[in-house]
Amino acid sequence: MSHDNSSPSFLQHHFHDVKQQYETAKLGMWAFILTEVLTFGGLFVAYVVYRSWYPEMFINANLLLDVNKGLLNTVVLITSSLTMALAIWAIQKKNKNLSLVMLILTFILAFMFLGIKYLEYSHKFEVGQLPGEYYSYMGPEIAHINNPHIFFSIYFMMTGLHGLHVAIGMGLIGWLIYATAKGNLHSEYYTPMEMIGIFWHLVDLIWIYLFPLFYLIG
Amino acid sequence: MAHQHHITPLSIYLTIAATLLFLSGVTVWVSYVDLGAMNIVIAMLIATTKATLVVLFFMHLLWDDKKLLTIFVMSLMFLGIFITITLLDTEFRGGVNPEVKDSINKRAAFYDSLPLTDTHGNPVDEHGSSHHEEDEDHH
Repeated sequence: MSHDNSSPSFLQHHFHDVKQQYETAKLGMWAFILTEVLTFGGLFVAYVVYRSWYPEMFINANLLLDVNKGLLNTVVLITSSLTMALAIWAIQKKNKNLSLVMLILTFILAFMFLGIKYLEYSHKFEVGQLPGEYYSYMGPEIAHINNPHIFFSIYFMMTGLHGLHVAIGMGLIGWLIYATAKGNLHSEYYTPMEMIGIFWHLVDLIWIYLFPLFYLIG
Repeated sequence: MAHQHHITPLSIYLTIAATLLFLSGVTVWVSYVDLGAMNIVIAMLIATTKATLVVLFFMHLLWDDKKLLTIFVMSLMFLGIFITITLLDTEFRGGVNPEVKDSINKRAAFYDSLPLTDTHGNPVDEHGSSHHEEDEDHH
Protein backbone atom coordinates (compact mmCIF):
# COMPACT_ATOMS: atom_id res chain seq x y z
CA MET A 1 0.00 0.00 0.00
CA SER A 2 1.49 3.27 -1.10
CA HIS A 3 -1.30 5.41 0.33
CA ASP A 4 -0.97 7.21 3.61
CA ASN A 5 -3.53 6.97 6.39
CA SER A 6 -5.48 9.96 5.10
CA SER A 7 -6.53 8.23 1.86
CA PRO A 8 -10.22 7.18 1.86
CA SER A 9 -11.17 3.53 2.36
CA PHE A 10 -12.84 3.28 -1.06
CA LEU A 11 -9.57 4.13 -2.84
CA GLN A 12 -8.10 0.89 -4.16
CA HIS A 13 -4.37 0.47 -3.70
CA HIS A 14 -3.51 0.27 -7.39
CA PHE A 15 -4.83 3.77 -8.06
CA HIS A 16 -2.82 6.89 -7.40
CA ASP A 17 -5.74 8.96 -6.15
CA VAL A 18 -9.55 9.17 -6.10
CA LYS A 19 -9.70 11.20 -9.31
CA GLN A 20 -7.63 8.65 -11.23
CA GLN A 21 -9.78 5.81 -9.89
CA TYR A 22 -12.97 7.61 -10.96
CA GLU A 23 -11.71 8.47 -14.44
CA THR A 24 -10.44 4.94 -15.01
CA ALA A 25 -13.84 3.51 -14.08
CA LYS A 26 -15.58 5.90 -16.42
CA LEU A 27 -13.25 5.20 -19.36
CA GLY A 28 -13.72 1.46 -18.84
CA MET A 29 -17.48 1.86 -18.70
CA TRP A 30 -17.59 3.74 -21.99
CA ALA A 31 -15.33 1.15 -23.64
CA PHE A 32 -17.93 -1.41 -22.49
CA ILE A 33 -20.75 0.75 -23.92
CA LEU A 34 -18.89 0.74 -27.25
CA THR A 35 -18.89 -3.08 -27.28
CA GLU A 36 -22.59 -3.04 -26.37
CA VAL A 37 -23.42 -0.76 -29.31
CA LEU A 38 -21.56 -3.14 -31.63
CA THR A 39 -23.25 -6.22 -30.11
CA PHE A 40 -26.68 -4.79 -30.79
CA GLY A 41 -25.29 -3.37 -34.04
CA GLY A 42 -25.07 -6.84 -35.57
CA LEU A 43 -28.78 -7.32 -34.92
CA PHE A 44 -29.60 -3.87 -36.30
CA VAL A 45 -27.74 -4.85 -39.49
CA ALA A 46 -29.84 -8.03 -39.72
CA TYR A 47 -32.94 -5.87 -39.32
CA VAL A 48 -31.89 -3.40 -42.04
CA VAL A 49 -30.95 -6.14 -44.54
CA TYR A 50 -34.11 -8.20 -44.07
CA ARG A 51 -36.37 -5.17 -44.06
CA SER A 52 -34.85 -3.99 -47.35
CA TRP A 53 -35.47 -7.47 -48.78
CA TYR A 54 -39.02 -7.92 -47.46
CA PRO A 55 -40.52 -4.42 -46.92
CA GLU A 56 -44.15 -5.57 -47.33
CA MET A 57 -43.70 -8.51 -44.98
CA PHE A 58 -42.34 -6.21 -42.25
CA ILE A 59 -45.30 -3.84 -42.59
CA ASN A 60 -47.82 -6.69 -42.37
CA ALA A 61 -46.09 -8.69 -39.64
CA ASN A 62 -45.77 -5.48 -37.61
CA LEU A 63 -49.58 -5.39 -37.33
CA LEU A 64 -49.34 -8.44 -35.05
CA LEU A 65 -47.53 -6.40 -32.37
CA ASP A 66 -49.43 -4.41 -29.74
CA VAL A 67 -48.54 -0.70 -30.09
CA ASN A 68 -50.14 0.12 -26.72
CA LYS A 69 -47.93 -2.33 -24.86
CA GLY A 70 -44.90 -1.02 -26.76
CA LEU A 71 -45.73 2.60 -25.90
CA LEU A 72 -46.42 1.68 -22.27
CA ASN A 73 -43.00 0.01 -22.08
CA THR A 74 -41.42 3.13 -23.62
CA VAL A 75 -43.00 5.30 -20.94
CA VAL A 76 -41.95 2.84 -18.21
CA LEU A 77 -38.35 2.75 -19.42
CA ILE A 78 -38.00 6.54 -19.86
CA THR A 79 -39.44 7.06 -16.38
CA SER A 80 -36.99 4.50 -14.97
CA SER A 81 -34.15 6.35 -16.69
CA LEU A 82 -35.28 9.51 -14.91
CA THR A 83 -35.52 7.81 -11.50
CA MET A 84 -32.05 6.30 -12.03
CA ALA A 85 -30.62 9.75 -12.82
CA LEU A 86 -32.42 11.19 -9.77
CA ALA A 87 -30.95 8.47 -7.54
CA ILE A 88 -27.48 9.71 -8.50
CA TRP A 89 -28.57 13.34 -8.11
CA ALA A 90 -29.92 12.58 -4.62
CA ILE A 91 -26.74 10.88 -3.44
CA GLN A 92 -24.67 13.76 -4.80
CA LYS A 93 -26.86 16.03 -2.68
CA LYS A 94 -26.17 13.78 0.37
CA ASN A 95 -29.82 12.65 0.47
CA LYS A 96 -29.44 8.90 1.08
CA ASN A 97 -33.12 8.21 1.68
CA LEU A 98 -34.28 9.91 -1.52
CA SER A 99 -31.57 8.03 -3.40
CA LEU A 100 -32.87 4.73 -2.00
CA VAL A 101 -36.45 5.60 -2.92
CA MET A 102 -35.38 6.42 -6.49
CA LEU A 103 -33.38 3.19 -6.81
CA ILE A 104 -36.33 1.14 -5.56
CA LEU A 105 -38.63 2.95 -8.03
CA THR A 106 -36.17 2.15 -10.84
CA PHE A 107 -36.15 -1.50 -9.76
CA ILE A 108 -39.96 -1.63 -9.75
CA LEU A 109 -40.17 0.03 -13.19
CA ALA A 110 -37.64 -2.46 -14.58
CA PHE A 111 -39.81 -5.26 -13.19
CA MET A 112 -42.87 -3.67 -14.80
CA PHE A 113 -41.08 -3.55 -18.16
CA LEU A 114 -40.29 -7.26 -17.97
CA GLY A 115 -43.86 -7.99 -16.83
CA ILE A 116 -45.34 -6.25 -19.87
CA LYS A 117 -42.79 -8.00 -22.07
CA TYR A 118 -43.84 -11.31 -20.51
CA LEU A 119 -47.48 -10.62 -21.43
CA GLU A 120 -46.43 -9.91 -25.03
CA TYR A 121 -44.19 -12.96 -25.28
CA SER A 122 -46.68 -15.37 -23.71
CA HIS A 123 -49.37 -14.27 -26.17
CA LYS A 124 -46.98 -14.86 -29.09
CA PHE A 125 -46.02 -18.29 -27.76
CA GLU A 126 -49.71 -19.13 -27.49
CA VAL A 127 -50.59 -18.27 -31.09
CA GLY A 128 -47.31 -19.48 -32.58
CA GLN A 129 -45.81 -16.15 -33.68
CA LEU A 130 -42.35 -17.56 -33.06
CA PRO A 131 -38.91 -17.35 -34.66
CA GLY A 132 -37.78 -19.45 -37.61
CA GLU A 133 -39.06 -22.98 -37.92
CA TYR A 134 -41.16 -22.69 -34.74
CA TYR A 135 -43.46 -20.17 -36.41
CA SER A 136 -46.95 -21.60 -36.91
CA TYR A 137 -49.40 -18.64 -36.86
CA MET A 138 -51.65 -18.55 -39.95
CA GLY A 139 -54.12 -15.75 -39.10
CA PRO A 140 -55.91 -13.69 -41.75
CA GLU A 141 -53.43 -10.79 -41.44
CA ILE A 142 -50.55 -13.01 -42.42
CA ALA A 143 -51.98 -15.67 -44.76
CA HIS A 144 -50.68 -14.01 -47.93
CA ILE A 145 -47.40 -12.76 -46.54
CA ASN A 146 -44.20 -14.61 -47.16
CA ASN A 147 -41.59 -15.18 -44.47
CA PRO A 148 -43.31 -13.70 -41.37
CA HIS A 149 -41.08 -16.06 -39.35
CA ILE A 150 -38.08 -13.91 -40.31
CA PHE A 151 -39.73 -10.84 -38.75
CA PHE A 152 -40.32 -12.78 -35.55
CA SER A 153 -36.78 -14.20 -35.55
CA ILE A 154 -35.40 -10.66 -35.57
CA TYR A 155 -38.07 -9.40 -33.15
CA PHE A 156 -37.32 -12.09 -30.57
CA MET A 157 -33.54 -11.80 -30.93
CA MET A 158 -33.50 -8.01 -30.52
CA THR A 159 -36.15 -7.64 -27.82
CA GLY A 160 -34.81 -10.80 -26.13
CA LEU A 161 -31.25 -9.49 -25.90
CA HIS A 162 -32.65 -6.16 -24.74
CA GLY A 163 -34.83 -7.92 -22.16
CA LEU A 164 -31.77 -9.80 -20.91
CA HIS A 165 -30.09 -6.42 -20.40
CA VAL A 166 -33.09 -5.20 -18.43
CA ALA A 167 -32.91 -8.33 -16.25
CA ILE A 168 -29.16 -7.86 -15.66
CA GLY A 169 -29.80 -4.17 -14.94
CA MET A 170 -32.42 -5.16 -12.35
CA GLY A 171 -29.85 -7.35 -10.60
CA LEU A 172 -27.30 -4.51 -10.60
CA ILE A 173 -29.86 -2.00 -9.29
CA GLY A 174 -30.81 -4.50 -6.60
CA TRP A 175 -27.18 -4.57 -5.53
CA LEU A 176 -27.07 -0.74 -5.58
CA ILE A 177 -30.06 -0.65 -3.20
CA TYR A 178 -28.19 -2.98 -0.84
CA ALA A 179 -24.90 -1.07 -1.07
CA THR A 180 -26.55 2.33 -0.57
CA ALA A 181 -28.67 1.15 2.35
CA LYS A 182 -25.57 -0.34 3.98
CA GLY A 183 -23.75 2.96 3.55
CA ASN A 184 -21.05 1.68 1.19
CA LEU A 185 -22.13 4.26 -1.37
CA HIS A 186 -22.34 7.88 -0.22
CA SER A 187 -21.83 11.42 -1.51
CA GLU A 188 -18.03 10.99 -1.52
CA TYR A 189 -18.07 7.68 -3.39
CA TYR A 190 -20.92 6.65 -5.67
CA THR A 191 -18.97 5.55 -8.77
CA PRO A 192 -20.77 2.14 -9.06
CA MET A 193 -24.13 3.92 -9.07
CA GLU A 194 -22.97 6.28 -11.81
CA MET A 195 -21.60 3.42 -13.93
CA ILE A 196 -24.74 1.27 -13.55
CA GLY A 197 -26.70 4.44 -14.36
CA ILE A 198 -24.83 4.72 -17.67
CA PHE A 199 -25.64 1.06 -18.37
CA TRP A 200 -29.29 1.64 -17.54
CA HIS A 201 -29.52 4.66 -19.85
CA LEU A 202 -28.01 2.53 -22.64
CA VAL A 203 -30.83 0.02 -22.14
CA ASP A 204 -33.25 2.95 -22.51
CA LEU A 205 -31.34 4.19 -25.57
CA ILE A 206 -31.65 0.85 -27.38
CA TRP A 207 -35.36 0.62 -26.64
CA ILE A 208 -35.78 4.13 -28.11
CA TYR A 209 -34.80 2.57 -31.46
CA LEU A 210 -36.47 -0.83 -31.02
CA PHE A 211 -39.88 0.73 -30.31
CA PRO A 212 -40.37 2.57 -33.66
CA LEU A 213 -38.52 -0.12 -35.66
CA PHE A 214 -40.85 -2.93 -34.53
CA TYR A 215 -44.09 -1.34 -33.36
CA LEU A 216 -44.51 1.72 -35.58
CA ILE A 217 -43.81 0.51 -39.11
CA GLY A 218 -45.90 1.79 -41.97
CA MET B 1 -12.51 15.50 -2.00
CA ALA B 2 -9.70 16.36 -4.36
CA HIS B 3 -12.15 17.01 -7.16
CA GLN B 4 -15.76 18.10 -7.43
CA HIS B 5 -18.17 16.29 -9.71
CA HIS B 6 -20.52 18.30 -11.85
CA ILE B 7 -24.02 17.94 -10.43
CA THR B 8 -26.70 18.19 -13.09
CA PRO B 9 -29.51 20.50 -11.93
CA LEU B 10 -32.81 18.76 -11.13
CA SER B 11 -34.68 20.98 -13.59
CA ILE B 12 -32.58 19.61 -16.48
CA TYR B 13 -33.43 15.99 -15.61
CA LEU B 14 -37.14 16.77 -15.40
CA THR B 15 -37.15 18.79 -18.64
CA ILE B 16 -35.30 16.06 -20.54
CA ALA B 17 -37.61 13.31 -19.24
CA ALA B 18 -40.69 15.38 -20.16
CA THR B 19 -39.27 16.01 -23.65
CA LEU B 20 -38.55 12.27 -24.10
CA LEU B 21 -42.11 11.34 -23.11
CA PHE B 22 -43.53 14.03 -25.40
CA LEU B 23 -41.42 12.83 -28.36
CA SER B 24 -42.56 9.23 -27.70
CA GLY B 25 -46.14 10.41 -28.09
CA VAL B 26 -45.26 12.36 -31.24
CA THR B 27 -43.59 9.34 -32.88
CA VAL B 28 -46.65 7.16 -32.23
CA TRP B 29 -48.97 9.87 -33.57
CA VAL B 30 -46.86 10.44 -36.70
CA SER B 31 -46.79 6.67 -37.41
CA TYR B 32 -50.57 6.78 -38.01
CA VAL B 33 -50.14 9.50 -40.68
CA ASP B 34 -49.30 7.90 -44.02
CA LEU B 35 -46.26 9.73 -45.39
CA GLY B 36 -44.97 6.84 -47.48
CA ALA B 37 -41.22 6.45 -47.34
CA MET B 38 -40.95 9.52 -45.07
CA ASN B 39 -42.51 7.62 -42.14
CA ILE B 40 -39.36 5.66 -41.38
CA VAL B 41 -37.19 8.77 -41.88
CA ILE B 42 -39.26 10.80 -39.40
CA ALA B 43 -39.41 7.90 -36.92
CA MET B 44 -35.61 7.58 -37.01
CA LEU B 45 -35.11 11.37 -36.73
CA ILE B 46 -37.30 11.46 -33.61
CA ALA B 47 -35.54 8.38 -32.16
CA THR B 48 -32.14 9.95 -32.82
CA THR B 49 -33.23 13.21 -31.18
CA LYS B 50 -34.34 11.22 -28.12
CA ALA B 51 -31.11 9.20 -28.12
CA THR B 52 -29.04 12.40 -28.31
CA LEU B 53 -30.87 13.84 -25.28
CA VAL B 54 -30.30 10.62 -23.31
CA VAL B 55 -26.59 10.49 -24.18
CA LEU B 56 -25.82 14.16 -23.55
CA PHE B 57 -27.86 14.73 -20.37
CA PHE B 58 -28.75 11.42 -18.69
CA MET B 59 -25.41 9.83 -19.57
CA HIS B 60 -23.69 13.13 -18.77
CA LEU B 61 -21.50 13.26 -21.90
CA LEU B 62 -22.21 16.98 -22.39
CA TRP B 63 -20.10 17.78 -19.31
CA ASP B 64 -17.67 14.84 -19.31
CA ASP B 65 -14.22 14.66 -20.84
CA LYS B 66 -14.66 14.68 -24.62
CA LYS B 67 -12.66 11.47 -24.98
CA LEU B 68 -15.73 9.62 -23.70
CA LEU B 69 -17.98 11.27 -26.31
CA THR B 70 -15.34 10.32 -28.91
CA ILE B 71 -15.52 6.66 -27.84
CA PHE B 72 -19.29 6.66 -28.13
CA VAL B 73 -19.34 8.43 -31.51
CA MET B 74 -16.71 5.97 -32.76
CA SER B 75 -19.00 3.05 -31.88
CA LEU B 76 -21.72 4.66 -34.02
CA MET B 77 -19.24 5.26 -36.86
CA PHE B 78 -18.28 1.59 -36.88
CA LEU B 79 -21.96 0.63 -36.81
CA GLY B 80 -22.42 2.90 -39.84
CA ILE B 81 -19.54 1.20 -41.66
CA PHE B 82 -21.00 -2.22 -40.73
CA ILE B 83 -24.43 -1.31 -42.14
CA THR B 84 -23.09 0.43 -45.27
CA ILE B 85 -20.72 -2.31 -46.37
CA THR B 86 -23.28 -5.06 -45.70
CA LEU B 87 -25.91 -3.20 -47.73
CA LEU B 88 -23.41 -2.68 -50.56
CA ASP B 89 -23.48 -6.47 -50.86
CA THR B 90 -27.11 -7.31 -50.19
CA GLU B 91 -28.65 -4.41 -52.13
CA PHE B 92 -26.58 -4.82 -55.29
CA ARG B 93 -26.30 -8.60 -55.67
CA GLY B 94 -28.64 -8.38 -58.64
CA GLY B 95 -26.39 -5.93 -60.49
CA VAL B 96 -23.59 -8.47 -60.82
CA ASN B 97 -25.55 -11.72 -60.95
CA PRO B 98 -29.12 -11.06 -62.11
CA GLU B 99 -30.18 -14.60 -61.14
CA VAL B 100 -29.56 -13.91 -57.43
CA LYS B 101 -31.48 -10.62 -57.41
CA ASP B 102 -34.51 -12.39 -55.94
CA SER B 103 -34.61 -12.71 -52.17
CA ILE B 104 -33.21 -15.75 -50.50
CA ASN B 105 -36.34 -17.66 -49.70
CA LYS B 106 -35.63 -19.87 -46.70
CA ARG B 107 -38.93 -20.96 -45.31
CA ALA B 108 -40.29 -22.17 -42.02
CA ALA B 109 -41.26 -25.82 -41.63
CA PHE B 110 -44.95 -24.95 -41.55
CA TYR B 111 -44.75 -23.82 -45.17
CA ASP B 112 -44.01 -27.39 -46.29
CA SER B 113 -47.72 -28.19 -46.17
CA LEU B 114 -48.61 -25.09 -48.22
CA PRO B 115 -48.20 -24.27 -51.90
CA LEU B 116 -45.04 -22.21 -52.44
CA THR B 117 -45.45 -18.50 -53.11
CA ASP B 118 -42.95 -15.78 -53.97
CA THR B 119 -42.44 -12.61 -51.92
CA HIS B 120 -45.61 -11.09 -53.40
CA GLY B 121 -47.78 -14.11 -52.63
CA ASN B 122 -47.86 -15.39 -56.23
CA PRO B 123 -47.67 -19.18 -56.51
CA VAL B 124 -44.34 -20.64 -57.64
CA ASP B 125 -43.43 -24.15 -58.81
CA GLU B 126 -40.75 -26.31 -57.23
CA HIS B 127 -38.04 -24.94 -59.49
CA GLY B 128 -38.50 -21.46 -58.09
CA SER B 129 -39.95 -19.66 -61.13
CA SER B 130 -43.44 -18.27 -60.64
CA HIS B 131 -46.49 -19.37 -62.66
CA HIS B 132 -46.88 -15.72 -63.51
CA GLU B 133 -43.65 -15.79 -65.51
CA GLU B 134 -44.57 -19.13 -67.10
CA ASP B 135 -47.81 -17.60 -68.37
CA GLU B 136 -45.79 -14.90 -70.08
CA ASP B 137 -43.64 -17.57 -71.71
CA HIS B 138 -46.71 -19.21 -73.26
CA HIS B 139 -47.92 -15.96 -74.80
